[in-house]
Amino acid sequence: MGNIRPQDMGKPVEQLAKIDKLMPLPAPYDKPGMEPEFTEPKEAWKETYCTSLDGFVANETLVRPQTKEEEEAFVQKFLSGLEKLFSDETNRNYLQPFMLSFEYCAKCNTCSEACHVFKSSGEQEIYRPIFRSEVLRKIVKKHFKGEGFWSRFTGGDIDINFETIFRLGELAYRCNLCRRCAQTCPLGLDNGLLAREIRKLFSMEMGIAPKPLHEKGSMLQLKTGSSTGITKEAFLDMIEFMEEDIYERTGKKYKIPVDKKGADILLTHNAGEYLAWPENPAAFAIIFEEAGLDWTLSSDMIGYDNVNYGLFYDDAQSRKIGLAQLKAAKDLGVRRIVVGECGHAHKAAMVAIDRAMVGEDNIPRESFLPLLADLIKKNVFKLDPRRNNFPVTLHDPCNVVRMMGIVQPQREIIKAVAPQFREMYPNGAKNFCCGGGSGFAIMKSFNFPEFRNKISSRMKFKQILEAFQPEMEQDVPKYVCAPCSNCKGAIRDILEYYQATAKFNVHYGGLVELVVNAMVQFDKPFLEFLDEDAFEHLK
Amino acid sequence: MFLTVFAYFSVVAFIGLSLYKAYQFAKMPMHGRWELYPVPKEPDGKGHYGGSYYEDLEWWNKPRRVSHVGEIIDMLKEMLFIKNLFVNQRRQWWLSYAMHLGIYLLGLWTVMLFVGAITELSTGVSLATAQGVNSSLWTTIVYYVTLIAGGLGAILMAIGSFCLFLKRLFNSTFAKYTTLEEYFNLLFLFAVVASGIVVWSGDPGFNYGRDIARAMLTFSPIKAGTALTVHILLLGAVMIYIPQTKMSHYVGKYFSFHKVLWDNEPNLRNSQMEQIVKEAISYKPKASWSAPHINPAAASQDKK
Ligand code: SF4
Ligand code: SF4
Repeated sequence: MGNIRPQDMGKPVEQLAKIDKLMPLPAPYDKPGMEPEFTEPKEAWKETYCTSLDGFVANETLVRPQTKEEEEAFVQKFLSGLEKLFSDETNRNYLQPFMLSFEYCAKCNTCSEACHVFKSSGEQEIYRPIFRSEVLRKIVKKHFKGEGFWSRFTGGDIDINFETIFRLGELAYRCNLCRRCAQTCPLGLDNGLLAREIRKLFSMEMGIAPKPLHEKGSMLQLKTGSSTGITKEAFLDMIEFMEEDIYERTGKKYKIPVDKKGADILLTHNAGEYLAWPENPAAFAIIFEEAGLDWTLSSDMIGYDNVNYGLFYDDAQSRKIGLAQLKAAKDLGVRRIVVGECGHAHKAAMVAIDRAMVGEDNIPRESFLPLLADLIKKNVFKLDPRRNNFPVTLHDPCNVVRMMGIVQPQREIIKAVAPQFREMYPNGAKNFCCGGGSGFAIMKSFNFPEFRNKISSRMKFKQILEAFQPEMEQDVPKYVCAPCSNCKGAIRDILEYYQATAKFNVHYGGLVELVVNAMVQFDKPFLEFLDEDAFEHLK
Repeated sequence: MFLTVFAYFSVVAFIGLSLYKAYQFAKMPMHGRWELYPVPKEPDGKGHYGGSYYEDLEWWNKPRRVSHVGEIIDMLKEMLFIKNLFVNQRRQWWLSYAMHLGIYLLGLWTVMLFVGAITELSTGVSLATAQGVNSSLWTTIVYYVTLIAGGLGAILMAIGSFCLFLKRLFNSTFAKYTTLEEYFNLLFLFAVVASGIVVWSGDPGFNYGRDIARAMLTFSPIKAGTALTVHILLLGAVMIYIPQTKMSHYVGKYFSFHKVLWDNEPNLRNSQMEQIVKEAISYKPKASWSAPHINPAAASQDKK
């Protein structure tokens, strides 16, 4: 199926698209053998899961029905959900943006050039932003207008069969919802939104959503307080452990405030940080304590995990979690919530939930970025940028930058602590997604990580290589700063996948770690990959 | 007299249906925030690099400032030049802009026809006679602006619409996504302008246009031969047709930019937005989704 069209979605072929020619990478990854090849989907998956799109499986709850009747019921259920997308009763929150993007596409293809998934994949037709949207449009036209000439005339020329819907469910998870496409659309339309509406239909009507997002994500969070499954007790243990860890790293004892009633600031982290990158919340603690802020963490239900995976796939989940998080802050009686290094938590807490509460419940929320930039501007800390004297580049998390307009503070901070800072191109509001957006960073089932590492994260990897081009093959440490837990996860995975750390000394981490590393009062480097001796001469 | 009535009818239909479309979008429920930066109304240069009030410490304690000038400038750039297409897809822009500029010029031409007709009605003299253009400065200006706008507009629109049609037909990527309706729309626009060019070729000064405008203003019958009748019928038909199709993107674009992508109005305590939010969240929808985590009852019923 080389020359695929949206109409082909229901074609009875084993695999609609085969990804072969990927976008080339710059040196040193321009030589053959520098990256692992794709593996074939396992035979056993084919019977149960949707391998019939491109061979990758993102959604383990999207399973093949056993009988014709079940297939038929699956399609009918989808169609009933489809009608709900168009109803002002069931889709109040997104009806207007959805209808605009649904109706007006001029098929000018401007958005394709902006999409990193499409470009990285070597311009695979099924990843073209309007491919997915057109499939949806065709299904809708056909469903609402029937079989006749007028339906075909307006584009309703697709077979609404099981395979079409099945593949569409999988295709909804080939978009990072980064909305870079929407930035370039002359009509202001948003293929990212349409991808999300498809995910939403599957989740909210059919109960079908990738487990890491739904079952082990937002459902677990509502039940235990965190999508990591960390309970309150475990959380409190971890904070104690963190205090010890900080003492070991810095030689200074800090008491981390937890559940301090009436504090000025409730600081919230992506709970995954405590498990995967505890140095990040630790760096926050050091910074907040050194600055003498009146702050606290919360051990309350949902107060210690600011993630909100609902943002990626389900309005109802997004709202439930968003409101519960605000309640945790309200119960503590804090004046404001400050969101740490998690991009989607930024967007969920500050933007997505913004029009869902009023009065007392409407607690002010802000990003840590302006706060930290302000502290640095006021010279609250003694910093020596020479302690970070290695090449540093900055990844802009889409949710913080393109969707919230926070661009400058992180640059002010990084310029104050990293003398060899250089931008990626493009950056700021025009940045490329890390490839882990919309939940991809945590979706690890089957061979989906292969799609992420080789396709959706490819553009980011290219940008990183370009930013470090002069030193790439030298043995100096290089640092990709990604002030977002999700992006950090995706970048960790590409550096591992391409062995960029082992072979070329490329590291990654957050922004606050760089700031703490530059603090002169500590004898040892805060960043673990740095050599202690290198700090000797700075004293 | 039929043509006069039809001409009025099509104008009223165009305006009425476009407004109705706008009304349909406007009355949709308040949507959740879905803005996208750069938002041009952000002041202090933030509108350019994509910054917002979230870059300020304790942003909710700062006075809310909006740069209407920034927004209007961006809007005009988009409206007059289709800036986004120019920046992001130059090759498509040439054809698309030719067609759109053609339409704008023909809009100007229509206005000028009426200006000319009013001039003729009020002074009792024709802008152009067999001897040439009336020599007063005003009539000369009106005559030539009409001529240039109409001529250039028709040519650009004809080239634009036809070339876009050909591109959709022969470029394999475009062809994959083009529906029959979209081909038809381009051909329809081309047919209107082509029939206009046929009429124009017999009356290069567009006097027939002023005759029609005069007939409409005085509500008297339009005198038209076959070619002109066909042209008027096609033009009227396209005006009634456009607002009912996605060619009404002039309506949609307003909403997608102003009401979605550039709407970053925060819900501050005691603000007007808070009042709107209050009303919105008090609404109890009469229907719901049926997945088990949303509607356990519906889900278990489904299983039975
Ligand atoms: S840029 Fe906009 S109008 Fe053009 S194809 Fe993409 S979504 Fe459609
Ligand atoms: S939202 Fe991002 S990933 Fe999705 S189609 Fe647009 S550019 Fe591509």
